[in-house]
Amino acid sequence: MGPYKSGISAGSSSSSSSSCAGKQSEIDGLLSGAGYKVRSSDLRQVAHRLERLETVMVNAPAEISQLASEAVHYNPSDLASWVDSMLSELNQPVPMSSDLSDLPYIDGFVAPALHQTVLSEGWTEQNTHEQQQLTVVTAVEEDSAIRLVHLLMTCAESVQRGELGLAGSLIEEMRGLLTSVNTECGIGKVAGYFIDALSRRLFSPLAVCAGSSLESDILYHHFYEACPYLKFAHFTANQAILEAFDGHDCVHVVDFSLMHGLQWPALIQALALRPGGPPLLRLTGIGPPSPDGRDSLREIGLRLAELARSVNVRFAFRGVAASRLDDVKPWMLQVGPREAVAVNSIMQLHRLLGSDSSRVSPIDSVLGWIRSLNPKIVTVVEQEANHNQPEFLDRFTEALYYYSTMFDSLEACSLQLEKSVAEMYMQREICNVVCCEGSARVERHEPLAKWRARLNGAGFRPLHLGSNAFKQASILLTLFSAAGYCVEENEGCLTLGWHSRPLIAASAWQAVSDTSAPFGRIKDNLL
Amino acid sequence: MAGGNEVNLNESKMVVPLNTWILITKFKLVYNLIRRPDGTFDRYMDEFHEKKVSANANPVDGVFSFDVIIDRATSLLSRVYRPAPADQAQPGIMELQRPLGSEIVPVIIFFHGGSFAHSSANSAIYDTLCRRLVDICKAVVVSVNYRRAPENRYPCAYDDGWAALKWVNSRPWLQSGKDSKVHVYLAGDSSGGNITHNVAMRAVESGIEVLGNILLNPMFGGQERTESEKRLDGKYFVTIQDRDWYWRAFLPEGEDRDHLACNPFGPNGKSLEGVKFPKSLVVVAGLDLVQDWQLAYVEGLKKAGQDVKLIFLEQATVGFYLMPNNNHFHSVMEEIGNFVSPNC
Repeated sequence: MGPYKSGISAGSSSSSSSSCAGKQSEIDGLLSGAGYKVRSSDLRQVAHRLERLETVMVNAPAEISQLASEAVHYNPSDLASWVDSMLSELNQPVPMSSDLSDLPYIDGFVAPALHQTVLSEGWTEQNTHEQQQLTVVTAVEEDSAIRLVHLLMTCAESVQRGELGLAGSLIEEMRGLLTSVNTECGIGKVAGYFIDALSRRLFSPLAVCAGSSLESDILYHHFYEACPYLKFAHFTANQAILEAFDGHDCVHVVDFSLMHGLQWPALIQALALRPGGPPLLRLTGIGPPSPDGRDSLREIGLRLAELARSVNVRFAFRGVAASRLDDVKPWMLQVGPREAVAVNSIMQLHRLLGSDSSRVSPIDSVLGWIRSLNPKIVTVVEQEANHNQPEFLDRFTEALYYYSTMFDSLEACSLQLEKSVAEMYMQREICNVVCCEGSARVERHEPLAKWRARLNGAGFRPLHLGSNAFKQASILLTLFSAAGYCVEENEGCLTLGWHSRPLIAASAWQAVSDTSAPFGRIKDNLL
Repeated sequence: MAGGNEVNLNESKMVVPLNTWILITKFKLVYNLIRRPDGTFDRYMDEFHEKKVSANANPVDGVFSFDVIIDRATSLLSRVYRPAPADQAQPGIMELQRPLGSEIVPVIIFFHGGSFAHSSANSAIYDTLCRRLVDICKAVVVSVNYRRAPENRYPCAYDDGWAALKWVNSRPWLQSGKDSKVHVYLAGDSSGGNITHNVAMRAVESGIEVLGNILLNPMFGGQERTESEKRLDGKYFVTIQDRDWYWRAFLPEGEDRDHLACNPFGPNGKSLEGVKFPKSLVVVAGLDLVQDWQLAYVEGLKKAGQDVKLIFLEQATVGFYLMPNNNHFHSVMEEIGNFVSPNC
């Protein structure tokens, strides 16, 4: 059994003891409401297997501790796969569907059909609601704070309607109100940034929100120190990459945004300690071209090489300077034929979602060439937010609540300098979401459900992150961060959030192999 | 032994719909992995398996929700559910804390179940249940994310419930009716039912008015092994052994099940005679092994002259209220709706 479970259900039976063929893909609506995806036609089989599992557990209590402490659990929402994997762990044969005929279940014992909801949906589609989710975690109490939020919404709405005069006067009013609101924390703090962003959108729309890349580096580093989001991203991706590289002697990581290379020392050290010895590790780091002739990519590469040398890991680094990911061509990465490749994207893919109708959409082009590399794993971490909605007011509202929660979580940070600079990092994002449009708006965050659909559609299948990754991420949080942060499992992906609101989502993917490739793509299989 | 257990499995399958059986069995099996014989608890595995949903300030089926941090020091979160205003297509931020108005709107403080150790206010099953309560009772529901055992023993859950009650009671925007007060009810299932009783006790002692208690399959117990426990042990998803484990995890170390928290009318109990205790609606499932303790609770209230209505559902098991696929669900929801109705 490999380290991962495929996202595609293994549990489907060819025959079904119930119903008509048209209902095969229908998911039981009530179990779905409880968070479990089970096809109506699979209910009896799942029940039968649960029964089998229980019998085994009752008869062999020692097995329970093995299941509890050693077995890795994956994607609990997919009950059919979960129970099958538990049975496999216990070396139990998975019961065949022919055993179902004499089961005394009373599936007729249901209230009239009115009360049942049976959903027809694609197996991988998670979100059945057409409406958007808007998650608010708030301690907004003061009247003035509530009034401020209301004004922000009204102002954003007038901006959307083009009523710029009204918007302008609302901004004046809000600035006045800010003086009577606590701007040290909560909505008061983040409101100030949103007022500034609205003001900038109205009065200086051509002003650029982003600073120099040196500034970006500094902001990024402080954000990294002040709160656990980036550490979680790096840690979770590294765990997945490490497992994917198991058994391979030549491995190649392609990092979509090297920054300071903060993610890689831990992976290098983990590979150094690998039983059987480390592989040859190649790292290709993509980043923006450095100003004034420096080669910052190379500098970071040298530092990482130094570290690798100190722990006896054979290491080679290559920097690829590109302003935009879609300027990168796969040949620049020089992926070798026998290498196991990991593509690592930490909060980069959303930048490709701006569409320029004259070209192939950047995201499709990049996902296409990622796939052509035939990577063993693609690790994707993205903000768990819906900041790419077509309507400005919707984006604005979502961003207000998202960043309020982010700022709220920062309050827990005791490092004052890091906290202040981290706020500036987030303020840049806010500015981009609120002020910018077209190709300038790069912070086009989309939620996990959308990324799933996109990646599935582009020929990738999920590699599930299991209970071991969950546990380790949770432990790290407890050790290094304040209470209030929370790791959640979401159908094979992991999210990190503040209290009940997920804020960042990590997932892993693999290209679906294309054995029936048409003639023009045979060369993919030679990689 | 194997034969005996197969009989047990067959019995529970005959009394609940298939999807309910699957859900409760899944919980049961996973919880068996999580509870360790030495009394420790694999909280990571528990959280990993717990299916959660986010709050949604956009209405879904006429209900919207948002989370509130009631107490930062203990990270006490609650999820507030409100009926969406019928007149507005798209509610704005003002709706979240919009005052309830002059018609009485009950506010139900809900304590989720999980035997004091499992589940959260944002568990999918409880989010669904609370949304149904809003719809049926035309109420605001505040679901409290109380601290759980074994990390947080008695009285943490009660302290959190009490903090939530004080918070709810002091929100101007939860006031309604001509008398402009918060019309508070307490409700809970399993351990939540137990918390309901205990928070009501504190309310009485402090003079906060609670209009009614709703206890769904409340979790009570005692040292004695009652007839129902012996008769139903292991037959319908629950065992005496697991009940004992959860009490050991919740009660102060060294205490037995006759502790006041577990056995409110037992040897260490307090009499409620003469106390202005809220009226109670107690739902007991006839296939729940702790029903003798639940019935003793009802008796205890009656003996003290308190207003209590018992709904005994002969063929119901634990968790029947989690899915609207059985008659017990519908009849109980109707009773709850009538119980909190301002006309009663």
